[in-house]
Amino acid sequence: MSAIITATALEDTQVKRNPGVMRLCAMAAAAVAVGLTVNMSVTSNGLMSLLTQATIYAVFALGLGFLLKQNGMVSFGHALFFGMAGYLVGAAVTLTGWPVGMVVVLTVAAIGMFAFGLALVIVRVPGIAFGMLTLAIGQSFYVLVSKSRGFTGGADGMNINFPAQVFGMELASFQNPSSMFLICWLVLVALVLLLALLLRTGFGPLTEAIRENEERARFIGFRTLLPRAAVFAVSAMVTAVGGVLSALYTGFVSPESLHWSVSGTVLIMVVLGGSRTLWGPAVGAVVYYLFRDFVGEHTTHWMSIFGVSLIAVIVLWPAGIAGGVMRAATSLQRAAARRLA
Amino acid sequence: MSANYALEARDLSVRYGGVTANDGVSMHLAQGEIRGLIGPNGAGKSTFIDALSGRRAIAAGSVHLAGSDITALGVVERRLLGLSRSFQRTSIFPGMRIGVQMELAASKIPDADPDEVMRELGLDRLAGRVADEISYGDQRRLDIALALVGRPSVLLLDEPMAGLSVEESMKLARHLRNLARNWGVSVLLVEHDMEVVFGISDSITVLETGKLLAEGTPDEVRAHPKVREAYLGSAA
Repeated sequence: MSAIITATALEDTQVKRNPGVMRLCAMAAAAVAVGLTVNMSVTSNGLMSLLTQATIYAVFALGLGFLLKQNGMVSFGHALFFGMAGYLVGAAVTLTGWPVGMVVVLTVAAIGMFAFGLALVIVRVPGIAFGMLTLAIGQSFYVLVSKSRGFTGGADGMNINFPAQVFGMELASFQNPSSMFLICWLVLVALVLLLALLLRTGFGPLTEAIRENEERARFIGFRTLLPRAAVFAVSAMVTAVGGVLSALYTGFVSPESLHWSVSGTVLIMVVLGGSRTLWGPAVGAVVYYLFRDFVGEHTTHWMSIFGVSLIAVIVLWPAGIAGGVMRAATSLQRAAARRLA
Repeated sequence: MSANYALEARDLSVRYGGVTANDGVSMHLAQGEIRGLIGPNGAGKSTFIDALSGRRAIAAGSVHLAGSDITALGVVERRLLGLSRSFQRTSIFPGMRIGVQMELAASKIPDADPDEVMRELGLDRLAGRVADEISYGDQRRLDIALALVGRPSVLLLDEPMAGLSVEESMKLARHLRNLARNWGVSVLLVEHDMEVVFGISDSITVLETGKLLAEGTPDEVRAHPKVREAYLGSAA
């Protein structure tokens, strides 16, 4: 994969095109500060629990959004990687007794390899057929896990007996909303930063070019299958990290986490937040959870109101909330420049 | 003798189901030569370019680049060996900055200089612009620029002047003439603008219903009775 990612000739142009590394690090530090502030200022256990869930799903949405951003492909089956991560961690912890850190790394790596192999076959299929394939594969695993009554607990799900110490910390830290929110937030920021740095290498413009015009990319000398499969694998690995966080937080994994409706919900978060930026889908996840909680308190028909709101966002801001924010920021910058001129 | 040719097609046939789009067409390009490829609509010109570039599978015949048989090679391998092309419909990366896409194209070819191509085609001033924000004429030049990165030995151009004004067409034609002369690039040019084709081509091949109708210098083709009858008519 390194051969695909390395393209030093692009570095100069990339510096002009993307924010510099220092700027990215500064933005990451600011995001960490926001997380710390939220962590310290929110006293309600219920709200903190909601924000923790939202952040876990923000990681999932980051993975799914990365696929849409760099490959232009919509997956209806990404919950497969989310749920599979929980089951693999649970199985490995129960059966092997290996340190949880090692189990997590091996799980994410295994899902990355599985996704890469799968992608070598399915990313060749264009458009909606690709989406249907991901749906079919995801649902086949959902049915498999639901019907396997033995080890996985079937439809009842599987309890995971984590050891008392995880990553050198008390297990309780991962199952307490306040501390877990901070852990999830830091993981989210780290993943956004890592993906942003990855896109600063030759991998970024190459996958962007393939998304924009795959045939032209081939006619300028690039084989397109491996980069597209690599994007799918990275996306699955990020999603798997979300699944691991969910398993750590609840100590439980159920077949529902593999269901297509979970993929569909996260896709809504991606569309709401916007997939043209890395952080857009994460914003979409947080907005979705807050909306569901606050509007859901007043009416059971919150989904109808959300649907109308989603249509409004798509019509007004086709690039989602992040796209709208970016557009507004650009307009403000231009206005300021005009005033200075 | 074929090693003397930058590109050679021997008895090339392409079929779409029961329809024969190219029927045993042979053609060659010398180094630095510009060859026009003309014919009425449906004559098989674009199919011929698709077959040469590896975009379309051929039913019979062979393609040779600098004497080497490349018939079995794919699009990517042919490009890396120096066979490049542009498209009838502009084929660029619309959402990317021009400088970035040119750098990307150059990253696959050792010692390729995207800046010289941008300078040559007057795109250097647009390097920081996103491709879908520039004019149609500039987009057409970008399409050709992407194909020219790394100075390929052979350039296949499928109606590069389509949609351009007369002034833009003549400007692009002069660029192509200079590139062929200065860089030694061999060009196969499919174009409906007869003034351009006859003005810059060293030789011309005429296709009709997928078959070779005539070939020769512009003057020979212009005087060819079958060509006059089938295609050029009184305009010639």
